[in-house]
Amino acid sequence: MTSLIHAVELTKYFQVGKKRYLHAVDHVNLDIPEGKTLGVVGESGCGKSTLGRVVLGLLPATSGELYYQGEDLIHGNKKQRKKMQREMQIVFQDPYSSLNPRMSVYELIAEPLVMNHVYGSRRETLQRVQELMEIVGLAERFINSYPHEMDGGRRQRVGIARALALRPRFVVCDEPVSALDVSIQAQILNLLMDMQEELGLTYMFITHDLSVVKHISNEIMVMYLGQCVERAPAEELFQNPLHPYTKALLSAIPVPKLGASLKHNLLRGEVSDPINPEPGCRFAKRCDHCTEACAGKNFQLKELGDRHFVACALYQ
Amino acid sequence: MTEPILRVENLHTIYQGEERNVYAVNGISFSLNEKETIGLVGETGAGKTTTALSIMQLLPDRIGKITEGKIFYQGENLLEKNKEEIRLIRGACISMIFQDPMTALNPVMTVGDQIHESLSIHNYDNLPEEELQKRVDELLTLVGIPANRKKEYPHQFSGGMKQRIVIAIALACKPKILIADEPTTALDVTIQAQVLVLMEELQKQLGMAMIMITHDLGVVAATCDKVAIMYAGEILEYGTVEDIFAGERHHPYTKGLFEAIPSLDSHSRRLKPIEGLMPDPADLPPGCRFHPRCPYCREDCKTGAPYLFERNGHQIRCNLFQEDTAI
Repeated sequence: MTSLIHAVELTKYFQVGKKRYLHAVDHVNLDIPEGKTLGVVGESGCGKSTLGRVVLGLLPATSGELYYQGEDLIHGNKKQRKKMQREMQIVFQDPYSSLNPRMSVYELIAEPLVMNHVYGSRRETLQRVQELMEIVGLAERFINSYPHEMDGGRRQRVGIARALALRPRFVVCDEPVSALDVSIQAQILNLLMDMQEELGLTYMFITHDLSVVKHISNEIMVMYLGQCVERAPAEELFQNPLHPYTKALLSAIPVPKLGASLKHNLLRGEVSDPINPEPGCRFAKRCDHCTEACAGKNFQLKELGDRHFVACALYQ
Repeated sequence: MTEPILRVENLHTIYQGEERNVYAVNGISFSLNEKETIGLVGETGAGKTTTALSIMQLLPDRIGKITEGKIFYQGENLLEKNKEEIRLIRGACISMIFQDPMTALNPVMTVGDQIHESLSIHNYDNLPEEELQKRVDELLTLVGIPANRKKEYPHQFSGGMKQRIVIAIALACKPKILIADEPTTALDVTIQAQVLVLMEELQKQLGMAMIMITHDLGVVAATCDKVAIMYAGEILEYGTVEDIFAGERHHPYTKGLFEAIPSLDSHSRRLKPIEGLMPDPADLPPGCRFHPRCPYCREDCKTGAPYLFERNGHQIRCNLFQEDTAI
């Protein structure tokens, strides 16, 4: 199987002061097969959004390699890169702030088409906008509406239509449903899955919500402070989580069932400082299984069983 | 039976607009006993926060108005009290935690001063300054923050720590009732679990009653004794946490909500959303508020108020239960 997105040791550091670097994404490897979904899960500040932006070329990588269909996205020539980036789009988190309030639905969806001179005439553009609105399930009567006249679910549909306008093959969904109510959230998730089937899209689905990611992903990657700590096929990760952080994350989700307790496996402390971290496991300070072996050196992902990778001293 | 600490009867709250009125809360009733937790559950616009603001009498001036109903705190109707009397109750007997700890704190005041503020306003025993400072230290320790950090400013704390400070402020005067408006929505799951466990422990320790406002049924299952499912300003279903999570009879909306949640155990990929949208609170549908989205909608749902089914305190407002046929 060929992978659409392939990244090797992708790294993004932000300089925040003299010799102070914030390790947002730290040596992450990616492999997303065509037509599949990679879920990226982690808490705020773990670098999941930065990873999405680096993959799309919205932020330059500090080091590492990135390939789209085997083409080098970091060192390749600029013109070529631009062309490929048209096939890579993003759906943003907050449909309240990611749409220009002074543009109508038509203008918003037509913007990528106009910017890229896709169609010669306004009639063709209008036709494509109507087609896109139908794909994402927006009634035609909204074509002249403005974002403030619509609820969150409809706004997110506009965001999705924008992302689809240029017929992408790869879409980064950056928390596309976390600003929505559950009943609407389910509508949007179903829409994303239907579109994947119909259009053969490949997704990188970024979220903090493990129960959402389970439904949409084929493979899941758990991130902690810029590093990938565990990666496994979706079912496998939920049935057999290995990394202590993944386990804690799973048991911290409040389950809508009687007698569910949150006290089991409660994590101490908070995420530590991502600026110039010491080598060693970054989760060690909050981990119950922490030993001396956890400090001093970084742990590489190690394959345990079928495509299940984990970076932890317990499994070396 | 002893008088509940808080009883809300037929509360109606509107927001007056220039052209039209927004009917945010339309006749809700519930009661809260001492040391008990009730969960108000619903989606955006269901009227959860408006209910809380009505109890606290913090509705925006001139716009927000309670048009009908009674709110009894320890047997006294809060709506008949004047502003001075309310001020003595608010913050001291009933206090509130707001959703977003990032904006609920004053960025130019040290956290110690912010806790101190609420203590000194309600300092009816005229305690000396040292006593108050000692109490600030106690409160910080109570919520798990070292007391020596009281001279720091909010930006020096993380999100979870800020919410702990907000909780410390709310608890400063040992309130009888704590209203928590989505206290963990802005936090990460692992931090959310920490804060919820902390709140539960504090509630036991201080013997408070609590109103937990949330959209997350998982949070409700972990914290509440009673649950009110709200929709378009009404309570559609009301019962104990066992009734809601394990009972056989449910309002179609409650059923839809449970089915829409992405579950960790299910193996199917597709989710079951509730079709349609929450109605515009300025233009509510007649009859049952949920009927335009309800898969079981009948002719009689479109006109009159829905039938109120009740069994052992479990209430469901739905015509389907006229014949008591469980769905």
